[in-house]
Amino acid sequence: MSISPVPMEATMPETASCSEGPRRFGYLRGVQWRIDLGILPSSPSSSIDDLRLVAANSRRRYAALRRQLLIDPQVLKNGSCSPDVVMDNPLSQNPDSMWGRFFRNAELERMVDQDLTRLYPEHGSYFQTPGCQGMLRRILLLWCLRHPVYGYRQGMHELLAPLLYVLHIDLELLSEVRKVYEDHFTDIIDGFSFHENDWTHKFDFKKLPEYMEDCNGSESPVKINSLGELEPKIQTIVLLSDAYGTEGELGVVLSEKFLEHDAHCMFDALMNGTGGAVAMAEFFSPSPFGGSHTMFPPIIESSAALYHLLSIIDSSLHSHLVELGVEPQYFALRWLRVLFGREFALEDLLVIWDEIFAYENTKFNKPGTNDAESNVGVLNSSRGALIAAFAVSMILQLRSSLLATENATSCLQRLLNFPVDVDLLKLLAKAKSLQALAVEAINSTPLLILPRLHGRRNAGFTKAHIPSLDLTSPRTTLNMAHESYWEERWRVLHMEEERKQGSAASAEKQVPNRKKGWSERVRLRLSRTKCDPFRSKATFRKKNETDEGRKNIGGDVDFGHKIPAEVEEQDVKDTNFSTSETRCSSGCPGNEENSSNISDLSTPVRGTNDYVNMSGRSSVASNFSAEENDTDSVNFEPLQANPESSPLPVSELDPDDDTLNSTQNYHSVIKQAAGIKERKLLSDKFQLFWKFGRNINEGTSDRAAVSEDAIACDSGSDCNNVAGSSIVNGCNSTSGISKAEIIDQNLIFSLSDLGQSMLENIQVIESVFQQDPDQMGSLENCKNAIVGEGHITAMAALEELRKISNLLSEM
Amino acid sequence: MVLVLALGDLHIPHRASDLPPKFKSMLVPGKIQHIVCTGNLCIKEVHDYLKTVCPDLHIARGEYDEETRYPETKTLTIGQFKLGVCHGHQVIPWGDLDSLAMLQRQLDVDILVTGHTHQFTAYKHEAGVVINPGSATGSYSSITYDVNPSFVLMDIDGLRVVVYVYELIDGEVKVDKIDFKKTTTSNA
Repeated sequence: MSISPVPMEATMPETASCSEGPRRFGYLRGVQWRIDLGILPSSPSSSIDDLRLVAANSRRRYAALRRQLLIDPQVLKNGSCSPDVVMDNPLSQNPDSMWGRFFRNAELERMVDQDLTRLYPEHGSYFQTPGCQGMLRRILLLWCLRHPVYGYRQGMHELLAPLLYVLHIDLELLSEVRKVYEDHFTDIIDGFSFHENDWTHKFDFKKLPEYMEDCNGSESPVKINSLGELEPKIQTIVLLSDAYGTEGELGVVLSEKFLEHDAHCMFDALMNGTGGAVAMAEFFSPSPFGGSHTMFPPIIESSAALYHLLSIIDSSLHSHLVELGVEPQYFALRWLRVLFGREFALEDLLVIWDEIFAYENTKFNKPGTNDAESNVGVLNSSRGALIAAFAVSMILQLRSSLLATENATSCLQRLLNFPVDVDLLKLLAKAKSLQALAVEAINSTPLLILPRLHGRRNAGFTKAHIPSLDLTSPRTTLNMAHESYWEERWRVLHMEEERKQGSAASAEKQVPNRKKGWSERVRLRLSRTKCDPFRSKATFRKKNETDEGRKNIGGDVDFGHKIPAEVEEQDVKDTNFSTSETRCSSGCPGNEENSSNISDLSTPVRGTNDYVNMSGRSSVASNFSAEENDTDSVNFEPLQANPESSPLPVSELDPDDDTLNSTQNYHSVIKQAAGIKERKLLSDKFQLFWKFGRNINEGTSDRAAVSEDAIACDSGSDCNNVAGSSIVNGCNSTSGISKAEIIDQNLIFSLSDLGQSMLENIQVIESVFQQDPDQMGSLENCKNAIVGEGHITAMAALEELRKISNLLSEM
Repeated sequence: MVLVLALGDLHIPHRASDLPPKFKSMLVPGKIQHIVCTGNLCIKEVHDYLKTVCPDLHIARGEYDEETRYPETKTLTIGQFKLGVCHGHQVIPWGDLDSLAMLQRQLDVDILVTGHTHQFTAYKHEAGVVINPGSATGSYSSITYDVNPSFVLMDIDGLRVVVYVYELIDGEVKVDKIDFKKTTTSNA
């Protein structure tokens, strides 16, 4: 056991950046870490009772969680729990069924087991025991089920293992203490020997002196003569483990029974950061950190921060590494994700983590900076600064050997095989000294990092394959955590059928953050090969970002409000295809459903229709492109023109109608216009109108003012004009409504269908954005124009899309 | 928690071209641990497809199977249960419970899976269970044209087997559940 005893009485002076605080429980790492991580109250004045209370509550939470999420297969057998066998049979594709959850959990479990079997083989006597493995597995499973966004990643088990280990060590200490003092209490008192485990009762301090005097034959190595001689440490241990204290057994802070609960709490706190900046989960997340707008995964940002710090401290080494092309995340990924767990032996690691956890994790508040400039998010606390400083001191340790090599690979080799025989205390001391610098660095210059990142990213990612970066793995792992292809198809099929029968809205909620399944990916790939015209649509977005775009939309105030807001916020990280696909693929379902409305075409496979529609769409785009002078906005045209005509059909609709009616009217109007030859073209545009029309309906003012010359600017849309005018003339209430009822059910079905497919498309975009940026390389020409500006806008535009789709599907 | 799929009498390509798409979408690899097939696949491609659903495949020979090396009957043990597979055209009268029970006693199995009649049936008698999964493609039989596609999934868990019957009726998949418990004294 390696416990670094810290005298309880010593209270370290609190410095500005680090709060070492009173290391009250320095000899009880488990308790100390729990305090540091924020699970147990950390104020020096909190009593043992407070600690016990908090501990008890956290354990209750875990127990409830466990009961809720772990699926007992036996429960599946009892038919009473699910009356609907159609939904709940083992082959059911229904993702909500018990069996579906069971199989998904089985997947997760398999992944977790793979890692667990290889965990700390050198400490196999503890870690490889079935009991310990079972605990680790359950904890990881439950955490991953609670946080489906992150799923399970390799490395999480290595963060959990030391936490469990320190708790285990605490218990060993406890049992040793017990042994020592227990001996003392096998003495006979009043002729009875106490066998119960209630040795705190025996620690009745008032009576203690009497016992002491009574026992003369005791062979105990520890002689306690008076209360005061009982070490305060031991006293604390006793109180912490007293089964009769606050909250009884549940409150026993050093408890073997609740080892799993405590470990889970610690793991959860470590991953979430408990309100602080350093949340380890962020290192596993592929998506940009919430507050930062740099669009890079947090691990990349933090690695860049490391290099930044290094450049401040030792610029020659830094420039040497940069010259060689050694990107920080090559080694920093492993360092940061498991908090140096792989670089040091377990005992050393515990010492390091002692130091790291001792530092406060509260985020730095930087006065005078707005959101756009924040920061290297995850490391933005004194704890984070220490982590960065420690990493830098590790790099500095290898300075001479790194400077000697002229080869990136050997540099990496040295960094990744950190020497074992290193003086840890020296490293730690150095890190602490650098920590203040690190704080400054992190606080001061976030923006500098970004262009460098960007530059490096462009160069680095296209040529260097990052060996350990598993940013692409989220796709596969999250897929397993989410619905499979068949489950999605099932959902879609079933929803269609339900609506056809006019049944109540389906019980299944659309999971907004479902990752795309095969269908979308296939569609994605196929659409990529097909839609070459879309490449020119690349600058689509850029136009939207400008005010010019807003102006062009013209008299339609609300609508203009909506569209540019929407598109401005689009994330153009993977600009072209994804965004153009948004348009076309979101268009297509609308297209389909329109055509199914109008022409009663059956749409057996949505995919094929998509392709057809996308080509139709592109022809629409090219029609419009002729009009525009400005090359940038060449593809903005369709967006422009369409919205302008879109208010028309809708404007004439009585805004007082409920949305259903109005869209029914709308569709009845479409029926009227059904005789038009260019039906497909029509529906291409209508999908846009219709989608935005809904927005307009919701928040719109009187549109009557929108003139028909707005329509006129649609070059290739004679049919539109016709439709527009017919809408203007013949639309509204009665005639519309009578027809509306006829197509009522079709409408509901198709609207929700649309919403569904929009969701799918959103997922397409999102996952495309998060994909390996290598794919950006193919769209170089357009990318440069857009990258760097539209990220934020794109993301928010996606949000808009999502809202739209939710609204639609609610119908 | 062992899932065993029982199906047969597909008659691909002679009488049917493929499994119904709804069935196909349900047969996802990874969920099922064993497949017992009563026969009349008839061609190798179907065999390969079934192999992708689950590698542990047991087939009995039907009269139209083009692969001649399948056995006439097969027995296997899954958990606490002994299963027997036979196509059923050998047992005359076709589909007769008593005759099938004879076969069951001959093979000494708890669960006998046979086909040939293209009708789903599940009988329980004191010696065990006789299951006919019907025709998974809904192909016509020597007896009748009116056949609904059906197959059976058995969930074997300890001494209890839950039989899920999947039938395609009017384009809808209907699922039914039957519970069987094995008494330890049976099948002496």
